Amino acid sequence: MNNAPAAKALWDLRPGEAATVTGFGDKLPVSYQGRVMEFGFQPGALVHCLLNPGFGAPRVYSICNSVFSLDKEVAAAVFVAVSSPVEAES
Amino acid sequence: MKRVLLLGSPNSGKSSLFNRLTGLSQRVANYPGITVDVASGPMASLPDIELVDFPGTYSLEPISGEEAIAVNFLNEALADDNVSHVLCVADTTRLEKCMHFILQVIRECQHHQKPVTVLANMSDVIRDNQLTFDPVGLSDALGVPVIPVSARDSQGFAPIIECVADGATAQNTTDRNWREAPNEILRGTAQQLAAKFSPKGDVLINSQLRLDRFFLSTALGGLAFFFIMFLFFQSIFTWSAPVMDAVESLVSGLGQLVVPLIPNQIIADFVADALFGGVGAFLVFVPQIFVLTLVIGVMEDSGYLARAALICHRPLRVFGLTGKSFIPLLSGVACAIPAIYAARSVDSPRQRMMTYLAIPLMPCSARLPVYALLIATFIPKDTGLFGLVGWQGLALFCIYFFGMLVALLVTGLVSKASKNKQTEQPFVLELPPYRLPTAKPLLRNAWNRCQQFVTQAGKIILAVTMVVWVLGYFPNGGADLGQSWLGTLGHIVEPVFAPLGLDWRYGIAILTSFLAREVFVGTLGTIFGIEGSDENMLPLVDHIQASGLPLGSGIALLVFFAVALQCVSTVVILAREGSTRLALSMLLSYLVGAYLLSLMAFQIVSLLF
Repeated sequence: MNNAPAAKALWDLRPGEAATVTGFGDKLPVSYQGRVMEFGFQPGALVHCLLNPGFGAPRVYSICNSVFSLDKEVAAAVFVAVSSPVEAES
Repeated sequence: MKRVLLLGSPNSGKSSLFNRLTGLSQRVANYPGITVDVASGPMASLPDIELVDFPGTYSLEPISGEEAIAVNFLNEALADDNVSHVLCVADTTRLEKCMHFILQVIRECQHHQKPVTVLANMSDVIRDNQLTFDPVGLSDALGVPVIPVSARDSQGFAPIIECVADGATAQNTTDRNWREAPNEILRGTAQQLAAKFSPKGDVLINSQLRLDRFFLSTALGGLAFFFIMFLFFQSIFTWSAPVMDAVESLVSGLGQLVVPLIPNQIIADFVADALFGGVGAFLVFVPQIFVLTLVIGVMEDSGYLARAALICHRPLRVFGLTGKSFIPLLSGVACAIPAIYAARSVDSPRQRMMTYLAIPLMPCSARLPVYALLIATFIPKDTGLFGLVGWQGLALFCIYFFGMLVALLVTGLVSKASKNKQTEQPFVLELPPYRLPTAKPLLRNAWNRCQQFVTQAGKIILAVTMVVWVLGYFPNGGADLGQSWLGTLGHIVEPVFAPLGLDWRYGIAILTSFLAREVFVGTLGTIFGIEGSDENMLPLVDHIQASGLPLGSGIALLVFFAVALQCVSTVVILAREGSTRLALSMLLSYLVGAYLLSLMAFQIVSLLF
């Protein structure tokens, strides 16, 4: 049985799910990669998906006590390893 | 005069600290990048030292035009010998977000041999949540003083004053040298320091999440957005109505009191027609500007505007804009000029250009006196739906909505015609914690906005009304306006406006409004003042109703003012921020568009009614 965390894009996280940032895809411009790293999206950092407003709107993530909204272009280029099961939205 | 620079990332409480330290009314906004202009003022406790509030930026590696301006300005300022100290504000509750910026600032300050002090703001939140923060340890690690402060309750201000006043205590606390550290090293160090010194525990996210679950939910969030926008437009009329009535009575009463005391007939006529009739008619609408600015300020400071930007991002993308365009567009509801500056926060040059195209079509406060005048002329003050909806407010909502719709159609068409996805930039936006807005800075900001509006627009209106009065009064002493110089000029331009059902008086008012839209009201006030002779103290609405302006022409005027770019200042700023070609082509195309649309509106309304 493979216990390694499942790797996926940040965009694929569901609300309530937590994951660890593992790296970045090539499609994200370098300047934006630098900016999201400055925001705390560094490899090893724990990120929570808080909300998915729907209709393709940017999703809401919390990292290091701050809350950010990222659109698909950014969140799909941030790779994460899922570290906790989905917690029901309370 | 010695200068102290105040730097910090957006939402770190920098502007609140600036207000507290200077006692000035710097804008306090709860949205990333709202501080576009640089404000400065003498420190309240050290009047010999000028505090300079820099635009908030997340990093000294800019990704937007706004950040590039801030960084360039910082580099120039650091090279200035008069700059004696740098204060770098950090949000202690979210050190991870600020630490890289702090290290970048320290590195630049070390390059320029300027002392730097870190102000660890929000210490009240740390205390209230019973968290711990080690400023001494962080100071040792950074090599510069770290002072815990609270902008909310002015805690920790004495050490700031000491630090700024006495250069000796502002020296580096250790021999840490960041001067040669590359960005990668700074980034890694920032992560380590943040992990070590950040207060452990969830400070605001849980309470914020509860509100976000409502405001950002698919169905309720959208409904809440429309409800808030609807309230916004209703409030402009309903909240300001009593003050507007009071100003109107005051202007009218003062005129009736002053004019009979003037012995010279020509001067008396001038004071009655140009001052009380022209400038007075414009002053009546100032309370609406106050309410408009106040309500936008409440939305900004509460943190809702950032959520609104998120909600609007996807729909705005369809029209070639981005969620980040929402703030400049809403600012454009107050005034196009700060809105054009605010568009610097839009990262993509193409989307910024689209934002420029949309801003002059947003229903700015200069249009408000014109809209309010025409709505008051044609729409009764009654309410419907059990008193919940005022028909005048609803009419204003409709004309505002029309302006916004035209803005989206224009950007949508231009975007489709020049589609280039490569120039679009990703959307990354910090959602600041929800906060209860503080009344004092909001009220002061609204007051300042009104003062600015009255002094800037008032000068133009006074000058124009004087010219209009002289042209309308002579050569026959106001006996027959149609035979005056103004009348002659008006009859020359009348054929242009006749297809809209407007006579020469409205033609003259439209021509003068190209200086600034609100001049339309002042000009009409002066014209009707001269024409009305003994009854010239009547409200302008009554004069227009008595003139027999048809409904179709009223609607045509509303449409014309919704689309035309009649503001010299906006054209100049567009030329400066965009290009002269862009500004001139917008001026011409919006003018032609406005004329054609208003012609259509006149024809349709005339057919129906």
